[in-house]
Amino acid sequence: MKKFVNDPQQFVPEMLEGLALANPDTLKYVPEYNLIMRADGPDQGKVSIVQGSGSGHEPAHVMIVGKGMLDAACPGDVFAAPPFDYVYETTKLLASPKGVLLLVNNYTGDKMVFEMAQEMSSADGIEVKTLFINDDVSVEDSTYTIGRRGVAGNFFVIKAVAAAAERGADLDEVIRIGEKVNSVTRTMGVALTACTPPAKGSPLFDLGEDEIEMGVGIHGEPGRRRAKMMPANEIVEEILGPVVKDLPFGDGDRVALMVNGLGGTPISELYLLYGQAHKRLAEQGISVGRSYVGEYCTSLDMAGASITLVKLDEEIESLLMDPAEIPIRVF
Amino acid sequence: MTATDLADVEYVVRTLAATAVEKEKEFGDLDAVVGDGDLGYSLARGFEKVLTDWDSLKRDDVATFLQQIALVISSRIGGTSGPLWGTAFLRASAAAKTVDTIDGTAVVAMLRGATDGIKARGNADLGDKTLLDALVPATDELERQISAGASPEECRKAFAAKTRECADATSKLEAKRGRASYSGERSIGSPDAGAVAVAILIERIVADWP
Repeated sequence: MKKFVNDPQQFVPEMLEGLALANPDTLKYVPEYNLIMRADGPDQGKVSIVQGSGSGHEPAHVMIVGKGMLDAACPGDVFAAPPFDYVYETTKLLASPKGVLLLVNNYTGDKMVFEMAQEMSSADGIEVKTLFINDDVSVEDSTYTIGRRGVAGNFFVIKAVAAAAERGADLDEVIRIGEKVNSVTRTMGVALTACTPPAKGSPLFDLGEDEIEMGVGIHGEPGRRRAKMMPANEIVEEILGPVVKDLPFGDGDRVALMVNGLGGTPISELYLLYGQAHKRLAEQGISVGRSYVGEYCTSLDMAGASITLVKLDEEIESLLMDPAEIPIRVF
Repeated sequence: MTATDLADVEYVVRTLAATAVEKEKEFGDLDAVVGDGDLGYSLARGFEKVLTDWDSLKRDDVATFLQQIALVISSRIGGTSGPLWGTAFLRASAAAKTVDTIDGTAVVAMLRGATDGIKARGNADLGDKTLLDALVPATDELERQISAGASPEECRKAFAAKTRECADATSKLEAKRGRASYSGERSIGSPDAGAVAVAILIERIVADWP
């Protein structure tokens, strides 16, 4: 498998270095802890919003650090939770009088590391809380989780809590909003191919030329079932159906609809999927208030996509519409 | 807090660390039976760092010392072992913070703190075939010996013997947590690697007690 890589062990640090060099005015890179933070942070007048996870999901989360989104992200190696001291030191560096909110996708390794970092930095007198995100409807428990996984839907939680923090909300209010958005956000994904971690150099799992994995996790872990390849509209039915049924979303609901690419699928295909999903929702009386199409939470070079729905109300929609300045802007 | 208290705790941690490093291969082989074989490696890397940093660790009191150990271990150990062992030391540190002297009762409180921490962090309980199945009944035994008025030496010996007995008895259990749980019923017949490792560590601490 051909990859742009020098030393596979340095894949993440070299990516972070590039990110920092490309955004000298807005980002600061602290190599000791894989930490990307706002250059002007921490803002002592607001709650600091921090997300950590494995790498390999870019632009999540290092490329969404900026005003109106994350104050910092401290990733681990590819598909590995950040080491404990990265999270602990990041929390200390981001401490503000209004507190720190750690956002964590619900995976066993990440959960342990972040809970411990919270415990230890609380003992140091920092006001810090942790919020777990678990929007994936595919499976109840998985290879790496007790309970549901956190996937692309975490963008909506991040956006809403970050906007609230920017407006001056206190830590409890920010958590209330985060829990509320998480509770109305649902996602399911599908893989057309496996992905190849740079340190491994070969595909992470076997997926036949004519096979797809329904409900795949963002580390390639198994979902609901393996199926034969099928037309796009049938795939949309297979993954949108369970998402709609889960909350459930219904006639008269207004939603945010995200079609997220998993890293190896062209944007053209994502828009094709978006069109199918949008029309299917309309048929069920569900109207789309906000649309998101592109790569948000990827799985390296995996071909595939996920669909996320968020049930909107005035409060959530208003927070989603607040401005954000992050590196993944186009111009 | 007396100097003897700190010296005893330092002895326990140092012996733990040295033994974990020395037994890296043995622990790894134990874990390879049904787990992913990384137990020896993980513990050795974490405790190796404890030994390297030994002289620079803060020793204001037992609680501070144990908190430093928690930080060093969890920074170095990957996977789930780091947060689990780190939490154990962190909770033992919290228990030590509330007492004036580290007597038998304080040791029981520190062990309880450690095992409760592991339960919470690992979402595990007794019977799940983890090191808890050795350490929790051994702590109960220690508490019994103390209230029966046994000498410190008798207490230590009874604690080590109970840990070993219960670690070996985990053979009968089916793994419910950690990587070994993917083996399900196939895990029956082999003891839990973490529990046996804990028994070996405690046996060494008790045998070499100064």
